[in-house]
Amino acid sequence: MMAYIFFALAGIALISGVLVVFQTHPLRSALWLIVNFFAVAGIYLLAHAEFIAAIQIIVYAGAIMVLFLFVIMLLNLRQPEEEAARPWFGQKLAGITLAALVAFILVYGFSKAEVPLAKAAPPGLGNTESIARLLFTDYLLPFEVTSVLLLVAIVGAVVLAKSKLK
Amino acid sequence: MIQYVWLIPVFPLMGFLINGLYGKRLPKNLVGTIGAGVIGLSFALTVAIFLEFLKLPAASRPVEIVVYNWIAAGKFSVPIGFLVDPLSLIMLLVVSGVSFLIHIYSVGYMHDDPGFPRFFTYLNLFVFFMLILVGANNFLMMFVGWEGVGLCSYLLIGYWYEKQSASDAGKKAFVVNRIGDFGFLLGMFLLFWTFGTLNFREVFALAGRYPVGSGIITAATLLLFVGATGKSAQIPLYTWLPDAMEGPTPVSALIHAATMVTAGVYMVARCSALYALAPFSLTVVATIGALTAIFAATMGMAQFDIKRVLAYSTVSQLGYMFLACGVGAFVAGIFHLMTHAFFKALLFLGAGSVSHAVSGELDMRRMGGLKDHIPITYRTFLIATLAIAGIFPFAGFFSKDEILFHALVDGNYFYWGIGTVAAFITAFYMFRAVYMVFFGESRVDPHVAHHVHESPPLMTVPLMILAFLSIVGGFVGFPIIEGGHKFKEFLSPSITPVGHGGHPPVSLEIGLMAFSMAVAAIGIYTAYKLYMLRPDLPGWLAEKFRVPYDLIYNKYYVDQIYDTIVVEPIKSGSTLLWTQVDDKVVDGAVNGSASTVAWLSAHLRRLETGFLQNYALAIVLGVTLVVGYLLG
Amino acid sequence: MTLTIPTFSLISIGPWLTLALGAILILLVDALSKGRKTYFPYFSLAVLALAAFQTIDLWGAQSTDFARMVYVDNFAFLFYLILILGAALTILLSRPYLEEWGKDMGEYYALILFATVGMMMMAASAHMIMIFLGLEVMSIAVYVLAGFFREDARSNEAALKYLVLGAFASAFLLFGMAFLYGAAGGSLYLDELAKRLTDAATLTKPLTLLAIALLVVGFGFKVAAVPFHMWTPDVYEGAPTSITAYMAVAVKAAAFAAFARVFFLAFPAFHVNWHMLLWVLAVATMTLGNVVAIAQTNIKRMLAYSSIAHAGYILVALVAANQLGAVSILYYLLAYTLMNIGAFGVVILVARKKDSYLNIYDYSGLAYQHPGLAAGMAVFMFALAGMPPTAGFVGKFYIFSAAVQAGYIWLAILGVMNSLVSVYYYLRITVLMYMRPAEADLGPIAFTPAVTACVIATAVATVLVGIFPGWFYDLAMNSVKIFPSL
Repeated sequence: MMAYIFFALAGIALISGVLVVFQTHPLRSALWLIVNFFAVAGIYLLAHAEFIAAIQIIVYAGAIMVLFLFVIMLLNLRQPEEEAARPWFGQKLAGITLAALVAFILVYGFSKAEVPLAKAAPPGLGNTESIARLLFTDYLLPFEVTSVLLLVAIVGAVVLAKSKLK
Repeated sequence: MIQYVWLIPVFPLMGFLINGLYGKRLPKNLVGTIGAGVIGLSFALTVAIFLEFLKLPAASRPVEIVVYNWIAAGKFSVPIGFLVDPLSLIMLLVVSGVSFLIHIYSVGYMHDDPGFPRFFTYLNLFVFFMLILVGANNFLMMFVGWEGVGLCSYLLIGYWYEKQSASDAGKKAFVVNRIGDFGFLLGMFLLFWTFGTLNFREVFALAGRYPVGSGIITAATLLLFVGATGKSAQIPLYTWLPDAMEGPTPVSALIHAATMVTAGVYMVARCSALYALAPFSLTVVATIGALTAIFAATMGMAQFDIKRVLAYSTVSQLGYMFLACGVGAFVAGIFHLMTHAFFKALLFLGAGSVSHAVSGELDMRRMGGLKDHIPITYRTFLIATLAIAGIFPFAGFFSKDEILFHALVDGNYFYWGIGTVAAFITAFYMFRAVYMVFFGESRVDPHVAHHVHESPPLMTVPLMILAFLSIVGGFVGFPIIEGGHKFKEFLSPSITPVGHGGHPPVSLEIGLMAFSMAVAAIGIYTAYKLYMLRPDLPGWLAEKFRVPYDLIYNKYYVDQIYDTIVVEPIKSGSTLLWTQVDDKVVDGAVNGSASTVAWLSAHLRRLETGFLQNYALAIVLGVTLVVGYLLG
Repeated sequence: MTLTIPTFSLISIGPWLTLALGAILILLVDALSKGRKTYFPYFSLAVLALAAFQTIDLWGAQSTDFARMVYVDNFAFLFYLILILGAALTILLSRPYLEEWGKDMGEYYALILFATVGMMMMAASAHMIMIFLGLEVMSIAVYVLAGFFREDARSNEAALKYLVLGAFASAFLLFGMAFLYGAAGGSLYLDELAKRLTDAATLTKPLTLLAIALLVVGFGFKVAAVPFHMWTPDVYEGAPTSITAYMAVAVKAAAFAAFARVFFLAFPAFHVNWHMLLWVLAVATMTLGNVVAIAQTNIKRMLAYSSIAHAGYILVALVAANQLGAVSILYYLLAYTLMNIGAFGVVILVARKKDSYLNIYDYSGLAYQHPGLAAGMAVFMFALAGMPPTAGFVGKFYIFSAAVQAGYIWLAILGVMNSLVSVYYYLRITVLMYMRPAEADLGPIAFTPAVTACVIATAVATVLVGIFPGWFYDLAMNSVKIFPSL
C-alpha cells in the first residue's frame, strides 16, 4: 500500500517538475511548482517526517510561492518572452541527452549498490520534538550558523535592491 | 675567509638593489662605480678564498658552507649552501674576474646610453645568479642560478627594446632556454626521485653504487644534457645565441661568450661522477659537441656581421668543450672554458671597441683598414684571434690541443677528425674577420671615417688585461713537462676521470701539436689568400658554389624549419583551443557585454537565451564524465 | 523531557564570532548613523587582526567542539590565517577602487567579513552539513560582492552567472552528501565516514563512488576545475577587480580546505578511485587554463585562466595525497594569495577611471613611466610563472616533489610542462612593460597609500616567503599531522 502511494507521489512530483521546466509562462511554472511541493511533502509524510512535511507546505508552497507569484505578477510578465526563452535545437538535444545519461548513471549506481535497509523508524522520529532535540544537541552549531546564512542573504538582497545609493 | 663564501654573490645583489632602487636618482659615475665596484669586491673575496683554499690540507677539502636550510620537505632538504672545491673556485674566479673587467669596460661603452642605471642593474643581477649557479652545492640552487641567468640574459638581449628585433631575440632566447630548462628540471626530478637528495656530493656518492650504464643514470644525465644544450647553445637548441647579439656588446661578451653559455659545460663537468657512469650519455655529449663544433664553424664562414661571426664561433667553441667532456676529458673541457672566457670576451669587447670607433657599425663589409686608427684594439684583437686559432703559445693553443689530444688517444678518430677540421675552419673565419676589419682598403662610410677614434682607457685597459690573460692563460696547463699541468693537478679532485690510463709517448704529443699548428696555419693562410691577396676570390667562390654557399649563408634554414614545424603549430593550437573549444561557449557573452549596453533587462534576457544554459550544460557534461568515469 | 545541551566553548570558534560580530557592527553603525563613514576599512582590518590573534592564541589545540561539528585543530587555524590574510589584503585594495565607482559602502566590508566566516567554517568543518553551510555563507556573500557594481552590466552579469551556476553546483554537492549519508548508513561526520565506508566498502561501493563523484563536482566548481570552470572567465572579468582577487584566492583556498579535509579524512579507503579521477581533472585543468590564457588580451581574463591553471597545480598536490602534498596545498595557497592579490593590486592601479585600462597592451612601457609599479608586477608575474626564488617557485617545487614522492611521475612532468607553457603569457606582460614603448602616455597613476602598501607588501612577501619557506613549511607540517591516512 505504502509503496503504491509512494510511487504515485513520486510520479506526480516528477511530472510536475518536468512541467515546471517546460511551461513558457512563468505563472504556470510557479503553479506546477506548488503541485510539486505538495507531492514531495507527501513523500516526507510517508517517511515519517511530519514536521518537514508541514514546513514544506507552509514555507515553500505557502510563503515562498506566494512571494514568487506576487513578483511575477508585479513584473507583469503576461506575455511569454518569445525570442528570449527559445533555446536552440542543439542545446535541447544536448540537454536531453545529458540528462538521460545522468539519470541512467544514477539508476545504474543505485542498482549496483546494496543500500542497507533503514531500520524501522523509532516512534516519534521526525516529529517536532525529536527534531528540536537534535537541533539543540548535535546540530546546535549548524542551527545557529543558519542564522548567519540568512543574515548574509538579507544583507545581500538589500545591497542589490535598495533604491537609493549613498 | 672560506666561511664568507656566501658574500661573493651578495655583493652583486647589493649592487642590483642599490642601482635598481635608486639608480635613476644617482649620478652616472656613482652608478658605474657601484656596478663595477661590487663585482670587484666579489672578485677580491674570491681571490682571497682561493688563496686560503690552496693552503688547506687535502684532507679538509672540499669545503661545504651551508647558510641555511632553504626548502625542507620531510627528510629531504635543500640548503642555501656553497660547495668550495677546485672546480667551483675556478669558475668563481673566471666569472667574477671576467665580469669585473667587462663591468669596467661597460662604464665606458654604455656611457651615453640613457638606460645606464638599468643596464648595470641587470648586469649585477646577472652576475649574482651566475655566481649562485657555479657556487651552489646542490642541483636546485644551481637551477635557481640557471633560471636566473636565463632571465637576465633575456632582459639584456632585449635591452634596446625599441628595436623590434632586440625584443624578439630576447623572447626567443627565453623560450628556447625554457625548453632546455625543462630537461634540466626533469633530470633533477629523476635524481631526486632516485636518490632522495639533491646535494651534489651525496648524489655522486650514492650514484657510485649503480653499475656503469644503468638506465636511470643514463636518463638523468641525458635530461640534464638537454638543459645544457639550451643554455650552452648546442644542437638543436643553439638558434637563440646568434640572435642574442642584438644585446649590447658587453652583454654579448659577458653572458653570451664568457660565462652564462658555459654553464652547461660546467654542469656536465660538475656531474662528471654521473656521466662517468653513463657511457651512452657521454657518447651523446661528444657527438652533439663535435657536430655543433663543425656545424657552427661552417656557418661562421659566411657571416658579415662581426658579432655574428663571433657568436657562431662561440657556439662552435662550446661544442669543443662538450666534445672534451664527452670523451671523458672534463679537465680539458674546463680548461678550454677558462681560456675561451679570456679570448672570447676579448674578441667581443674588441668588436665593441671597433664598432664604437665606427659609430656602431657591425657589418664587416663596411670596415677595413682600421689597423692604424685603433692600434690597441687591433693588437688585442689579434692576440685573441691567435689564441682562438690555436697558435702557440697563446692560451687557446694549450686547451684546444689538449681536447684534440684526448680525443685521439682514446681512439676516437672521428671526433678528432671533426675537431681538427673545425679548428681549420675556425682559424680561417677568424682571420677572415681580422683581414676584413683591420686590413685592406677602408670601406668605412665616409661620414664616419673622419672621426674614427680609439676607445677611452676605461675600455682599452680591460682589453689589455684580457689580452695578457689570453697570452699567459694557457701556461697553467703546460702539457709535456711532468708536473707542468698545474691546472689538471688542482682540478682533478673535483672530477671523476673516465677511461684511459697510462701516458702516451711524448713524441706523439709533440707531433700532434705540430700538426694542429700546421692546420691552423693553413687556415690562416687560406684567409690571407682569399681576403688579402685575391679579394675577388670570395665572391667568385660564392658564385661558383651557389647552393652550399646559400645553405651556409642562410644558416641551413634551421630557424625557418623550427618556425614551421614547432612555433606555428603551437601558436595556432592555442588559438584553436581558445576560439573553438573554450571561446565558442565562453566568450560570446562577453564580447557583447563589453560594449556599453546599459540596459539591465536587455542583458538578463540575453543571458537567458543561451550562454548561461550552455555553461550549465558543460557542468552536466562534466558530471556525466566524472560519475561515469568513477562508476564505469 | 530533558534536553542536555552539549558543552561547548565559544573560544574555539572565536575567530568566526569576532568577524561576524564585526560585520554586524559595521551594518548597524552604517544604518544608524549619518554621513560618510571612512573608517570601515580600518575597522575591518582591526577585526581581522583580532581574529588572527585569536587564531594564533588557539594554535596547538587539537579537539572537536559543538558536539563534534567543528575541528579545533591546526589545519583549520592555518587556513584561518591564510583566509584572514586574503581578506585583509583585499580590503586594502578596495577603498579607492570603490570610491571611483561611488560604491564605498559599509555592506561591502561586512560581506567580506561574512564571506570569510563562511570560509573558516569550511576549513574547520567536521561534518558535511557544516561544510555545506559554510559554503553557502561564503557563496551568497560572494555572489552579492560580484554584483556589487550593480549599475555596471558586466558586474550584474557576473553575479547572475555565478549565482545560477553556483546554485546548480551546490545542488550536486548536496546530492553527493545525501548519497554519502545513505552509503555510510546514516552518518556524515567526516571521521566516522572513513570507518563506516571501510566496513561497508564492498556493499555500497557504487553508491559511495557516486557520492564521491558528486562531491568532486561541487568542490570542482568552487575551485574552478575543468570542466566546471566555464563561469570563471566571465565572472572574474565582470566582478569588481578587488572582488576578483578575493574570489581567486580566498574562495579557492576555502574550497581546497574542505576538499582536502573531506578527501584525506573520509575517503582513504577509496583513494585508488579518486586519485585517478583527480589526476585527469588536474591535467585537464592545468592544460586548459594555461593554453587558453595565452590567447587572452584582457588582463583580468588572463588572470582568470591563470587562476584555473593554478587550481590545477593544487589538484596535483591533492592527488599526491601525502604529507608533503598536504603541506604544499597550504604553502601554495599562501603563495598564491600573495602573488595573485598583488597582481590584482597592480591591475587596479593601472585600470583607473572605472576600469578603462584592462587590456594587456595598456601595460606597454609601464616600466619607463612607473618603474616601481612595473617592478612589482614583474615580481608577481615571475612568481605566478614559478620562477625562482619566489614563493611561486617553491610552491611548485613542493607540489611536484610531492607528486614524485607519491609515484606520480607523469603528473609531475605534465605539471612542469604546463608551468613551462605558462611562462609565455606571464612573460608577455613583462615584455610589454619593459620592452615596448608606451602606446600612449599612460598618464598619472594615483598611488593611494593603502593599495601601494598592499602591492609593496605582497611583492616583498612573495620574495621573502620564497627565500625563507622554512617557517611556513614547519607550520604546515605541524598542521597536516591531523590526517592519519597521509
